[in-house]
Amino acid sequence: SVLLVRHHSVRPPFCCHLLLAVLAVLAAAAAEARGTAASQAPGAAAMGTGTPPSPSGTAFEETRLHVFTLDYPHVQIPFEITLWILLASLAKIGFHLYHKLPSIVPESCLLILVGLLLGGIIFGAEEKSPPVMNSDVFFLYLLPPIVLDAGYFMPTRLFFENFGTIFWYAVVGTLWNAIGIGISLFGICQISAFGLTDITLLQNLLFGSLISAVDPVAVLAVFENIHVNEQLYILVFGESLLNDAITVVLYNLFKSFCQMRTIQVIDIFAGIANFFIVGIGGVLIGILLGFVAAFTTRFTHKIRVIEPLFVFLYSYLSYITAEMFHLSGIMAITACAMTMNKYVEENVSQKSYTTIKYFMKMLSSVSETLIFIFMGVSTVGKNHEWNWAFVSFTLLFCLIWRALGVFVLTQIINVFRTIPLTFKDQFIIAYGGLRGAICFSLVFLLPPSVFPRKKLFITAVIVVIFFTVFIQGITIRPLVEFLDVKRSNKKQPAVSEEIYNRFFDHVKTGIEDVCGHWGHNFWRDKFKKFDNKYLRRLLIRENQPKSSIVSLYKKLEIKHAIEMAESGMISKVPSSVSLSEYHEGKIKPLSPTEMENMREILTKNLYQIRHRTMSYNRHSLAADANEKQAKEILIRRRHSFRESLRKTNSLSRERPAAANTKRFLSLPKNTKLPEKLRVRNKTSSRVGDSSDSEMDATTTVLNLRPRAGKILREQRLRQQRPPSEFSMEWKNEVDGSQNGQGEQQEPGSLPQPSIGFRQPLLTRPRFGTLSREDLTADHGLARPVPPPRLVRQASQGERQRSKPENQPY
Amino acid sequence: MGSAQSVPPEMRALAERTGFTSEQIEQLHRRFKQLSHNRKTIRKEDFDTIPDLEFNPIRARIVHAFFDKRNLRKAPAGLAEEINFEDFLTIMSYFRPIEMDMDEERLESFRKEKLKFLFHMYDADYDGIITLQEYKNVLDELMSGNPHLEKESLRAIAEGAMLEAASACMARTGPDEVYEGITFEDFLKVWKGIDIETKMHVRFLTMEAIAHCY
Repeated sequence: SVLLVRHHSVRPPFCCHLLLAVLAVLAAAAAEARGTAASQAPGAAAMGTGTPPSPSGTAFEETRLHVFTLDYPHVQIPFEITLWILLASLAKIGFHLYHKLPSIVPESCLLILVGLLLGGIIFGAEEKSPPVMNSDVFFLYLLPPIVLDAGYFMPTRLFFENFGTIFWYAVVGTLWNAIGIGISLFGICQISAFGLTDITLLQNLLFGSLISAVDPVAVLAVFENIHVNEQLYILVFGESLLNDAITVVLYNLFKSFCQMRTIQVIDIFAGIANFFIVGIGGVLIGILLGFVAAFTTRFTHKIRVIEPLFVFLYSYLSYITAEMFHLSGIMAITACAMTMNKYVEENVSQKSYTTIKYFMKMLSSVSETLIFIFMGVSTVGKNHEWNWAFVSFTLLFCLIWRALGVFVLTQIINVFRTIPLTFKDQFIIAYGGLRGAICFSLVFLLPPSVFPRKKLFITAVIVVIFFTVFIQGITIRPLVEFLDVKRSNKKQPAVSEEIYNRFFDHVKTGIEDVCGHWGHNFWRDKFKKFDNKYLRRLLIRENQPKSSIVSLYKKLEIKHAIEMAESGMISKVPSSVSLSEYHEGKIKPLSPTEMENMREILTKNLYQIRHRTMSYNRHSLAADANEKQAKEILIRRRHSFRESLRKTNSLSRERPAAANTKRFLSLPKNTKLPEKLRVRNKTSSRVGDSSDSEMDATTTVLNLRPRAGKILREQRLRQQRPPSEFSMEWKNEVDGSQNGQGEQQEPGSLPQPSIGFRQPLLTRPRFGTLSREDLTADHGLARPVPPPRLVRQASQGERQRSKPENQPY
Repeated sequence: MGSAQSVPPEMRALAERTGFTSEQIEQLHRRFKQLSHNRKTIRKEDFDTIPDLEFNPIRARIVHAFFDKRNLRKAPAGLAEEINFEDFLTIMSYFRPIEMDMDEERLESFRKEKLKFLFHMYDADYDGIITLQEYKNVLDELMSGNPHLEKESLRAIAEGAMLEAASACMARTGPDEVYEGITFEDFLKVWKGIDIETKMHVRFLTMEAIAHCY
C-alpha cells in the first residue's frame, strides 16, 4: 500500500484535473438535463421537485413509434439525488489523492470550494441562480445522520462529567451571544450612514440568535483532524449540540415577535417556558424512544439481519417527532442515541453492531459532504445584497462577543469546576465556535415578507460562515500546535486501564462515603444501581450483570480473533500497544486440517523436548555426543530456561504448573522450554478454558498458536541476547555460541510467527542430532533430521527445512 | 460545634502539614467525630457504620488504606490499630484538589503521592510490587458483585492485564531481569496519560457533610 500511495502521488495533478473535469461534466449534465426537461425547477428545490411535463402528443396528433426515448423527468428526482451524492463522494476521493491536503485544509473548506465551483458552473450554464439548499431537505434529511453519529459515539462518561459546563456554555453562552450581537448590530444600524435604519431591533435580535449558534457539523469537521484532548473537544462539541434547544427557542420567539403587533410581558415568560419545554421535551422524547429501541432489540435475536434498521428507525423517529412538536430535534436524537447505545450494544450481534457502526459513519459522512457542497453551490447566485458595514460588523461582533462570552462565562464556571479551564482552553473554545450549515439554513427560512432585507442577512451569514470555516478552520491546527494544547492520545483500550479506572472509581466513591459527601460519583453510583436493578433486566436479553471490564476483555478477544481470521492467522508484528489485544479469542481456525498437522508436529516436538530434556542433566549428558554441540545446547537451554523459570515463577505462582517446575528443578535448569511455553499458554488461556490442562499438550499447542508470535519471538530475542552470558561461563564456547547467535539473528525480516514456530522445531533437531535414533524410534517421525554437524549449520539447515513446514500459516 | 476539643492549638500545624484550610479541617473534624463516636481514635470497626460503604466492592481495601502505615507515613509496612484525627487528615490529604498556583514540581510530587496511595491499595503485602496474585485479588474483589463470572475469566483478565504491563516495561528490562510484577515506576507509566491529580479529589468544602443518618 505504501507503493500505491507513492504511485498516486506522482500523478496527482492529472488525476485531480481529471476529477474536476468529471465533476464539471456531471454538473453540466445535470444542469442541461434539467434544462431540457420541460419542468420548471423552481429556485428552491435542489433535489428537483419538477413536475413531469405533459405527455408529448395529444390524443389527436399522430405520432410515430419512438425507437429511442429519453425520459428524464421520470427519473429526475432519484437521478439528481444520486448524481449529487456521487459527486460528493468523488470529491472526497479527490481530496485524499493529495494525501497532504486534508491535513492542512479541513475537508469542509475543500467541499465548499467544490460547491462554489459547481455553483459557478451551473450559474454560468443556466444564467440563473443554482438550486439553493432547501431548508427542509437540510433539516429533515441531511442533519439527522450527522447528529446521530455524533450522539451514538459520544463518550458519555466525559459528557456527563462536564455536563454542567457544557450546559452553561450552551444556554447562557448562546443567549449572551445572541443578545449581544443583536443589540450591537442594532446600534450599528442606527447609524444612518450605513443605510440600515430599516432593520428593527427585533430583526437584529433574530439575526443575532441565528448566527450565534455554534454548529455541530462544522465543529466535527474541523476538530476531527486536530485531535485536541477529549475534554476540550467534548466541551465545544457538547455545546454545539445542546445549544440547539436555545437556538430553536430564540429563533421561533423572535420570529413570532417580529410578526406580532404587540409584545407583552406574558410573551416573554411564554418564551422562557418554551425553552424548558423545548429542551426537556426533546430529551424526553429521545430517552423514551431510546428505551423502546433497546426493548425492541431484546427480541430480535431471530431476525438479526434487520437489527441495525431498528437503531436507525427509532432515532430518526425521535428526531422527526421532536420536530413535529417544534421541540429540539437535535437534542432528541442525541438523547435517543446515547440511551440506546448502552443497551443495544449488548443485545445485538457483533455483526449487527459492526453494520450499525459503519452504516452510521457512511451516512453521516455523506450528509456532511453534501451539506458543505450545497453551501458552496447556494452561495453563488443572485441572493445577495452587499453592505460593507453590516457584513463586516456582523463578523466583528461575532468574534468579539464569542471571545468575551467564553471568557466571562469561564470565570464564573471555574468556581464550580474541579478542573479549572486555563486560558489556552478558553482560547480554543472561543476559537472553535464555528458557524455552519444550521445558521445557513435558518437564514433561508426567514419569511421575506417580514424581512425585506433578507438578502442582506444571507450575505452576512455566508460571510461569517466562510470566515469561520475557512480562516478559523485552517488556522486552528497550527494554533493548537503553537499553543501546545494538550492533545488526545488515542490508544487502544487496554484491559488494565479499565480495571484501574474501575478501581479508582470505587476508591473515590468510598472516600466520598467516608467523608460523608455527595459527589459526582454518588449520583453515578445511584444511577448504576438503578440501571442494574431495573433497566438492564428489562432491556437486555440475557441479563447477566456484565461488568465492563469483562465485556471489554471479551471485545478485545473477539476483535483480535477477527483480525487473526482476516489476516490469515499471520498476525502483524505486534506493537507494544496492540499487545493488549493478544488475548486468546474464540478462534475458529481457517484450516482445521492444517491446524491439526501443526498441532501434531508441535505436540510431538514439545513432548519430545520435555521427554528429552527430562533426562538431560549436565551430569548425565551423553558422552559420545559432540561435546561442543552438547555444551552449547546446554548453555542456551540453561539460559533460556533459567529465565523462563524465573518468569514462570513470578507469573504463575499458584498454578499447579509450579509443581512441574519443582520436579524439574532437580535437573538443573533444564526442561524449562516446554514449561515456559506451557505456562505462557496458560497465561493466554481462553476465557472458559479449564485450568487443569497443564499436562495436556494439545491444549498447550492450541493456545500456543496465536500467542506464538509474541512469546516465541521474545524467546528468540532472549536467546539471541545473551552472548555475554555465554562468554562468562564458557570461555571456549564463545565463538560457537556467538556465531550461532549471529546466525539466529538473521531471520529478523521473516514473518514472526514463522520464526516463532521454528523455535521448538529448531531445538528438537539439536537433541535430535545427539540421539536421533531415539527420536525417530520413539515417535516415528519421518521428518528428516540433518546429520550431526556443527550446530550452526544444523540450525541453518533446519531453518530452511522448517520453512516449508510453516507455509500453511 | 465542639471546636474546643483538641483541634485549635494544633490546627495551624495540621493545616501546614496537610495543606487543608482551617474550615476544611473543621469540617473533617466533625466527620471524624461522627465516625469515632466522639472518641479520640477510629478503629476499623467504625467504618462499618457508614451505610453506603457496604456496597462498595473494595470496601476492605479502602478501610485498610486508612490504616496502612505506608499511607500514614509511619512505617514501610504494617497496619495501624487505630488512627487519630491527624492520621485521618493525612489520608484525606491524598484527595485534596490541586490548587491553581501549584508549580510543576509540586504538582508532580502531588501526583506521585496520589498514585502512591493507589499503589499501596493494590500492593497488599508491602513488597512494593504488584504481583499477579495481588492483581487477581483486586480483580476478584472488583468483580465480586457479579456472581456469574467464571473464575477462568478473571484469571485470564488478570494475566492479560499483567502481560500488558509487562509488555509496556519489557523494553526496559534486560534479558536477564525478571518480570516480577508491576513496580511503582511501571504503575506511574500506566497512569501517565491520565491526569490523576485532577480526578483524584473530593470536594471538601463546597459541599456540606451530609450523612447524618445512622
